Amino acid sequence: MSSDVRFTDFKSDKQPTWCPGCGDFGTMNGMMKALAETGNDPDNTFVVAGIGCSGKIGTYMHSYALHGVHGRALPVATGVKMARPDIEVMAAGGDGDGYSIGAGHFVHAVRRNVDMSYVVMDNRIYGLTKGQASPTSRSDFETSTTPEGPKQPPVNPLALALASGASFIAQSFASDALRHQEIIQEAIEHDGFGFVNVFSPCVTFNDVDTYDYFRDNLVDLQDEGHDPNDYEAAKEVILDSDKEYQGVMYQDENSVPYHEKHGVTEDMSEIPEGAPEDAMDLVREFY
Amino acid sequence: MAEDLNWAVGGEAGDGIDSTGKIFAQALARAGRHVFTSKDFASRIRGGYTAYKIRTSVEEVQSVVDRLDILVALTQRTIDENLDELHEGSAIIYDGERSWEAEIPDEMTAVDVPLKSLAEDAGGAIMRNIVALGAACKITGFDVEYLDEALEKRFGGKGSQIVENNKEAARLGQEYVEENYDLDHLGYNVETTDNDYVLLNGNEAVGMGAIAAGCRFYSGYPITPATSIMEYLTGRIEDYGGHVVQAEDELSAINMALGAARSGARAMTATSGAGIDLMTETFGLVATSETPLVIADVQRSGPSTGMPTKQEQGDLNMALYGGHGEVPRFVITPTSITECFWKTVEAFNLAEKYQTPVFLVSDLAMSVTEQTFPPEAFDMSEVEIDRGKLVDEDEVDEWLDEQGHFRAHAVTDDGVSPRAIPGTIDGAHMSTGLEHDELGRRTEDQDERVQQVDKRYRKVETAQEEEDWDYREFGDEDADNLILSWGSNEGALVEALDYLEEDGIDVRVISVPYIFPRPDLSDEIEAADDVIVVECNATGQFADLIEHDALTRVKRINKYTGVRFKADELAEQITEQLSAEVPAQ
Repeated sequence: MSSDVRFTDFKSDKQPTWCPGCGDFGTMNGMMKALAETGNDPDNTFVVAGIGCSGKIGTYMHSYALHGVHGRALPVATGVKMARPDIEVMAAGGDGDGYSIGAGHFVHAVRRNVDMSYVVMDNRIYGLTKGQASPTSRSDFETSTTPEGPKQPPVNPLALALASGASFIAQSFASDALRHQEIIQEAIEHDGFGFVNVFSPCVTFNDVDTYDYFRDNLVDLQDEGHDPNDYEAAKEVILDSDKEYQGVMYQDENSVPYHEKHGVTEDMSEIPEGAPEDAMDLVREFY
Repeated sequence: MAEDLNWAVGGEAGDGIDSTGKIFAQALARAGRHVFTSKDFASRIRGGYTAYKIRTSVEEVQSVVDRLDILVALTQRTIDENLDELHEGSAIIYDGERSWEAEIPDEMTAVDVPLKSLAEDAGGAIMRNIVALGAACKITGFDVEYLDEALEKRFGGKGSQIVENNKEAARLGQEYVEENYDLDHLGYNVETTDNDYVLLNGNEAVGMGAIAAGCRFYSGYPITPATSIMEYLTGRIEDYGGHVVQAEDELSAINMALGAARSGARAMTATSGAGIDLMTETFGLVATSETPLVIADVQRSGPSTGMPTKQEQGDLNMALYGGHGEVPRFVITPTSITECFWKTVEAFNLAEKYQTPVFLVSDLAMSVTEQTFPPEAFDMSEVEIDRGKLVDEDEVDEWLDEQGHFRAHAVTDDGVSPRAIPGTIDGAHMSTGLEHDELGRRTEDQDERVQQVDKRYRKVETAQEEEDWDYREFGDEDADNLILSWGSNEGALVEALDYLEEDGIDVRVISVPYIFPRPDLSDEIEAADDVIVVECNATGQFADLIEHDALTRVKRINKYTGVRFKADELAEQITEQLSAEVPAQ
C-alpha cells in the first residue's frame, strides 16, 4: 500500500445491505476518512465488529477485520492490540451490542484504557431483529416487545464510561459528516481508549430519534466553549439529560495507555529462533 | 513393588498445610527420591479439613495408595478422615499441649510433640509445622539436611533470619523425638539417591509447555482448578515478551485470546466447569474464522458448580460437541504431568497448522498433583515449532484473486488456507462467524457454504492422515484383557498392573491422549476377550466413543466420588469386572 492512502482504500467492493438512509453509512464514511486522515492504511488496521446492523461494517470496509459474536467486539479488539501494539485497532458496534449484551465488557475495556478507538452506532433500537427496544431506547418508546415502553430508563453510555474511568468520551452525529469525522479522528489520536457514541438514526424502526430530531436538538460543545479537559464540566454535560450534545466531552490529558503503563510493547506474533531452548530456565526453577 | 513411604499432613484450611507438604515434598525430591503428592481440600479459604499427602519411593511412583505411614495431625478430624489408611505401623505426630486430646487407636504409635511451644522457642508459633517436619525426619530416618535445603529454597527470599529460625524449628522437632521416643521398631529408613529431580504439577507443566511453544498471550478468569495456569504464566511469560490479562469473565477471556491469535500471536485461555460453558459461544467463531487457539479445560466435578475442588473427567462430551452447529476441532487429553507439557506444545502446533481450536483437556487430579521427574523429561531442545501456512509478504501474491483480494479462506486440497496476519501487505481481509466465501465475506450461496464446511472438515481429515494419533501402552501386549483409559488415570493403571500381576492376572493397558481424532483401536478391541474402560465420570463418555467406534459393548469402571483412582482400588475393580457379564447389546 502506498503512503498516499485515500479513504476509498478502506472501502470494500461489497454493497452495503443497510436500509437506504441508514445512519450507519455516514458513521462508516467518517470512520474510513478518519483512519486515512490519521495516516493508517488497510494493511496496518484491524477493525473488530460485533453483531447487528452495525456489525456488518467490517464487510463494507477493507482492512484486517473480524466480525465476531454479539457483544464481544471489545475483548477481541483488546486481544489484537495487546499482541500487536503496532496495529491500529478500531472496534465498532451498536447500542445493543455495546450497552446490553456487551455492557460488562464495555466497563472493563474503558477502565483498561487500551490504545484503540470504539465507535458505537447508537440508533436507540434493535434494527436487525426488526424493531425491539434497545438499552438506549426512551422509557416510553413503544416497540413489538415493549408495547408500553421499556418501563425502565435508558442507559447513559457516556455516564457509564465516565464512571468507569474513561480517558476519552465523545459523541457525534452520523449526518454531520465533517464534525463526525473530526471527532473519530480525535478518538483515534487519543492515547488510550477513545470512545465515541454516534447518533446513527434508524430510518425503518425508530420514528422518534430521527435525523430531524437530532438536527433540531443537537448542541455542539465546540460552540458552547466546552473544555474537555475539565472533568467537572464534562460531568455536567454528560449527566445533562435535557440536551443532546456532540463533541468531545472528556479527555484525560494525562492518559497513559495500557501497553505503555504495563510494558506490553512487543510484537507478539514473532517466535524467535531458538526460543524453546531459552525456556530451559523454567525447568531449573522446579529443582 | 517399590518400598514406599506414605506421609501426610492434615488440619484446617489456613493452617499452612499446603506449604508444609510442599516443603517436605521438595526435601524428598532433593534427596533423589521419587515423590507423588495428592491434595484433599474443600472449597473454602479458612477452616474445613484439608490434607497434603506424599507418597515417596526410590522407584518411580505415579499413583496414590490406600496407606499412610506417618501422619502429622493438627486436628482430630485429620486422624478420623484417614483411619482407613492408617495401619499398625503408622506413627501419628500431634501436639498434646494444644486444646484437643487426640484419640489415637492403640495399635498405632502416638508421637506427642509440643509443636507450638518448640516453634515458639525457635522464633514463632507459625513454624509448628516445620517442627513437625523435623519430627517426621527423625521417625523416618530422613536426613534433615535435605529439609534445610528445602527451607532455604522456600524462605531464602525472606532473609537469612527466617531461614535460620525454620532450620532451628526442624532441629528442635527432630531432637524432641530423639530424646523422648524410641521408634526404631517402626523400621522406617528413608534412603536417598544421587538423582536430580524436578518437582511440579500438571498446571505448571501446561504453563511451561505454553511458554516453550511460544505462547505470548494468555487471558483467563480465575476458576478452580485452572487458575494456577494463569498464576504460573503471570510473572514468567513477560520474560519471554508475553502478557497475561485477567479478563472480566470467560467470554472476554476467550475472545481476547482469539483477538491475539488473529493478530499472529500464539494465544491460549484455560478454564474449568462453568467457565467452559461460557466460552462455548465462541468455539464456533474460532473454528469458522479459522483462528488457531488453544483452549485448556482443567476438569472438576460438575454439573453446575458441582464440587469445585474435586476430581472428575466429565467434560469430554463438552470438548467434543460443545457449541451450536458443527465445529471442527481437536481434543487432546494429556495422560500424565510430562504429557501436560508435551501435549501443550503439540496443541499450539496443531492449532496453527490446521487453524482451528484445540482443546487441551486436563483434570483436577493432574493439575494439583506434584510429581518428580528427571529434568530431561522437559528437554526444551526437543520442542519443535510449526507455524503452518503463515504467509509472508512475498507469498501473499500467490493467494490473491483477480481483483487483488487475499483469499484468507481459500478452498484447498488439504483444507488449510494461507494465513496472513495484520501488517502483511496486501493480506488485509475480514473473517467472520457468518458463513463466508474464500475472501471471508458473508455468503448464503449453497455451493460456497458446502465448499467452506467441507474445507473446514477436510483439514481434520488431513490431520487424521498426517499426524501421529498414537497411544501409550503398558502391561502385557498379548493379554486377553484390555483396559482403556484417558487422562490422569494412567499412573494408577500402570501401578495396578503390579497388584494384578501378584494375583496372576495379565492385562494390556492402553492410555489414550487423543480423543479427536483418536487412534483406531478396533484391532486391539477385537483381539481382546474383555474390554474395560476406566474413567472418572458416571456415564462413561469415553466408553461410549469406544463402543461407537468398535460397534461392541465394553465393560466400564466409573468413579465419580470426586476422588481420583488409586492403584490398589483399581486392581480390585478390574478383577471384579473381569468376572462380570458384558452389558447386553
